[in-house]
Amino acid sequence: MFALRRLAAAIPTLFIVSLLVFWFVDLIPGDPARIQAGPMATTEEVEVIRERMGLNRPAPERYARFLEGIVDPSVAVSLRTGRPIAVEIGERLPNTLIVAIGGLIVGLLLGTLGGVVCALRQGTFVDTLVTVLTLAGISMPIYWLGLLCIWLFAVNLGWLPAAGAATPAHFVLPILAVATRPAAMFSRLVTASLLEVMGKDYLDTARSKGLSEFQVLWRHALRNSLIAAVSVAGVQFGAMLGGSVITETVFGIPGIGRLLVDAVSRADYPVIQYAILMFAFFFVVINLVTDLLTQWLDPRTRAA
Amino acid sequence: MKKFSVRSALALGIFALMSSTALAQGVQPSGVLKIAVGADPETFDPHFNDLPTGNTVDLHVLEGLFRLDAENNVVKELATDYSFSDDGMTFTVKIKKGKTFSNGDPLDAKAVAASFMRLLNPEVGSIYRGLYSSIKEVTAPDDETVVFHLGERNGHILLLLASTNATIVNVTALEKMGAEYSRKPVGSGPYMVDSIVGGERYRLVPNPRYEGDFPAKLEAIEFVVVPEDGARMALLETGEVDIVERVPPEALQTIDALDEASVMKPPSMFSINMEIVLKGPMKDPRVREALNLAVDREGMIEGILGGLGTPSVTMPGPGTQNELRVTFVPIPFDPARAKELLAQAGYAPGQLSLTMVCPTGRYIKDAQVCQALQASFQAIGINAQARIVDRGTWTQIVSQPPAQRDDDMAMLGRATAGMDYTLYRLFRTGVSANTTGYSNPEVDDLLTRGRAETDPEKQKEIYGQIQKRIWEDRPFVFLWYQTQAIGVADRVKGLGVQPNETMHFDKVTLQ
Repeated sequence: MFALRRLAAAIPTLFIVSLLVFWFVDLIPGDPARIQAGPMATTEEVEVIRERMGLNRPAPERYARFLEGIVDPSVAVSLRTGRPIAVEIGERLPNTLIVAIGGLIVGLLLGTLGGVVCALRQGTFVDTLVTVLTLAGISMPIYWLGLLCIWLFAVNLGWLPAAGAATPAHFVLPILAVATRPAAMFSRLVTASLLEVMGKDYLDTARSKGLSEFQVLWRHALRNSLIAAVSVAGVQFGAMLGGSVITETVFGIPGIGRLLVDAVSRADYPVIQYAILMFAFFFVVINLVTDLLTQWLDPRTRAA
Repeated sequence: MKKFSVRSALALGIFALMSSTALAQGVQPSGVLKIAVGADPETFDPHFNDLPTGNTVDLHVLEGLFRLDAENNVVKELATDYSFSDDGMTFTVKIKKGKTFSNGDPLDAKAVAASFMRLLNPEVGSIYRGLYSSIKEVTAPDDETVVFHLGERNGHILLLLASTNATIVNVTALEKMGAEYSRKPVGSGPYMVDSIVGGERYRLVPNPRYEGDFPAKLEAIEFVVVPEDGARMALLETGEVDIVERVPPEALQTIDALDEASVMKPPSMFSINMEIVLKGPMKDPRVREALNLAVDREGMIEGILGGLGTPSVTMPGPGTQNELRVTFVPIPFDPARAKELLAQAGYAPGQLSLTMVCPTGRYIKDAQVCQALQASFQAIGINAQARIVDRGTWTQIVSQPPAQRDDDMAMLGRATAGMDYTLYRLFRTGVSANTTGYSNPEVDDLLTRGRAETDPEKQKEIYGQIQKRIWEDRPFVFLWYQTQAIGVADRVKGLGVQPNETMHFDKVTLQ
C-alpha cells in the first residue's frame, strides 16, 4: 500500500536525522557533568560524575547505545533524573498534542467560519473586521498573545485559570492562543479559494439544480478549498509542535517543548537526542498524512 | 422537594466530614497551601537536588541529624547529643530512639549511617561528595549511636550535618524504587510526597508516622511549576495560589498593590560578583581597585534590580554563618579616583581592554547588569566588552583553569551554607572552584587552620582575618547580595524563609 511504502521510505530519513542529532548535540556548549556538579566542584568530582554518565565512552559506542534506546526504551535514561526517557516523554507528549491538535481544530473551525463570512460578505464592514483580525492573528507572537489572554480572561474576568495543567479548563487559553495563527491562515485561504471558485460554471449547474446557496457552498466550493487547507494544516501543525515550548512556558504546561528546553539548559544529551528524533518522526508522519488526505480529496493527485 | 434533599444531603456531607475529622486525634492539620515556583526541581533526592524548591521539599519530607531554622541557626532534629573526640578526628552523635520512616522501616543509627555512606559513595556520584569529603566513613556501633570518622579535622561538621543535603534517605527503599525514589522519597519528615506530575505540580500531605518537633500544620501543600514570570504572578493575582516565588523587579509594585497579598523580602546569601582572572593587567591591585570604584552599586540596585539587593560589605553573603561573618565599609562610587588609579598604573584612557562574561537568566537581571558594568568601565576609560552567553557556554568558560581563560572576569553568584566551604573552595591556591587564580600563602594557612578549628572564638578570629584579606585584595569586583522577593497572600501567616531561599512551613497557618 502507498502508505506503507512511504513509511518504509521514511526510515532512512530518520536514520540520517538520528546521526545528525547525535553529532550536533555533542557540539552543544556545556558539559552535563560540570553543570550538574555545580560551580564549586573540583575537576576530580566532575570526572566521577562524567564516568557515571557514560560520557567518556567513545562516540560510536554512545551512538550504538542511543540506537539501542529506541528499540529498548529502558536503556535510555535521563542524565538528570535517571528515569527512562520514554516515561518522561510519555508523560508529557499528551499535553503537547492536546494543545497542538486542539489549536489546529479550533483554528480550522474559526478560520473556515471567518473565511466563509469574508467571501460571502465581501466589501462589507464584517469583511474588513475579519481581515483586520486575521492580520492581527498572523502577526501577534504567542508569547505576547498568551500573556494577554491570561491578563484578560484569568486576572480581569476570572473566567479561566491563569496557568498550570491540572484540569481541562487549564487548556482552554493555551488552545485559544495557539489557534489564532492557523485561524488567520485558514481564513485567508478559505476566502481566497472560495472567491476563486464562486463564479465558476459548475456552481451555476448546482444552483440550477435547485440547491440552496449554503448547500452549493458546502458541497462544492468548500471541498476544493479543503485541499489547500490540508497542506497548510500540515505545515501549521509542524510549526505548532516547534513553537510548543513557548506556549508551554507561558502557560506552565509540562510538554515536550519544555522538556527539550530544560534538557538543553542542563545539557541532558539523551533527552535532547530522543526528543528531537521524536519531533522528526512526527514531521514525517504529518507529511504522510497530509499527502494521503490530499490524494483522497483530490483524485487528480493520485498516482497512476 | 428537590431543593430540600440537596440541602440536607449537603448538610449530611458536612456533618460527616466534621465528625471524621473530629474522630482523629490531636490538633488537626487544616488548610491547603498553594505555591507557584519558577523552576521544576526534577529531583527530590537530597544527594542530587540543587534547587531551593527541592531543598524546601527535602526539609519537610526528610529529617536530618540537625537542621537549620529560618534564620540559619543549627537546631537538633534527630540528634539528642553530640561530641568530638579529643583529637578532633571522630564526631559522635546520639539519636532519638524508636523512629521510623513513613513506610514503617526503622530509622536507627544503621539507617543513618547507610544514608551517609550513599552520599559519600563515588559510584553514586552525588554532587555533594566534595562538600562532605572531610568524612571518610560513618558507622553505627549501636541503634542510637552514629560515628563519623573524619579524614581531616573539620570544626564545621555541625553545619554540614544541618544542611538539607545531609537529610536521611531510606537506602532500602531507594534500592527498591530506583529513579522513582527521587520523585517520592521515603523519609521521616512531617510531610510526604503524595503525588507528582513531572514538570508541572507536586503535592505534600502530612506523614501519619511522624514524631518530632515540627509537626504538620497544613492539610496539604501544593506546588505548581510556572516558569514564565508574568503567568506566575497572575496566579497570585487571581488567587489561585497563596505564594509565588521569585517576583521579578518589574512586578514588585503590582504585587504590593494587591489588596490581599504583598511582597516579602528576606535577605539572600547569594553574593553576586565579577570574579577577576588574575593575570595580565588584572594582577595590578590599582587596576582592580579602579574597577571596584567605577561601579555605582546603589544606582544599579535601584535602577536595574528594583531595589532587590544590598551592596557588598564582605565576600560571603548574609546568613553564611553570621557569627563568623565580619563586614567592612561599602566600596564608594568614585569614578574620578578610579581614573587616577588607572593613570598611576600606567594606562591612558582607552589603552586598557577587558572582556567580561555573563550568563543570562541565571541571576536577577544579570544581562542588564553586565551591560551597565560595561558602560561603567568605559566611563573610566577602559575599553570594556561584555559577552553575554547561555548557561552552557558560561559554565564551560568559568570551569577552565584561570591560566587558560581568554576573558578577564566572569559574573558568578556564590551561596553555600558555610564560611569554610565557601572560602576554601574559592580562595585556596589551586582549588578547582578558584576561578580567579588567587594564591596567598597566608590565606592558605588560615584556611587550613580554620577548617580544623573547633573552638568558635578562634574560628571567628581566623575567618575574620581571611575575610579582611580577601576584601582588601579585591580578587573580585564586589557587587551585591541579592534580596529575595516572594509574593505572599495576606491569609498566610508564619512563613519562614532561609537566606538560601528554602521555605519553612512549620509555623504556617492559613486564615
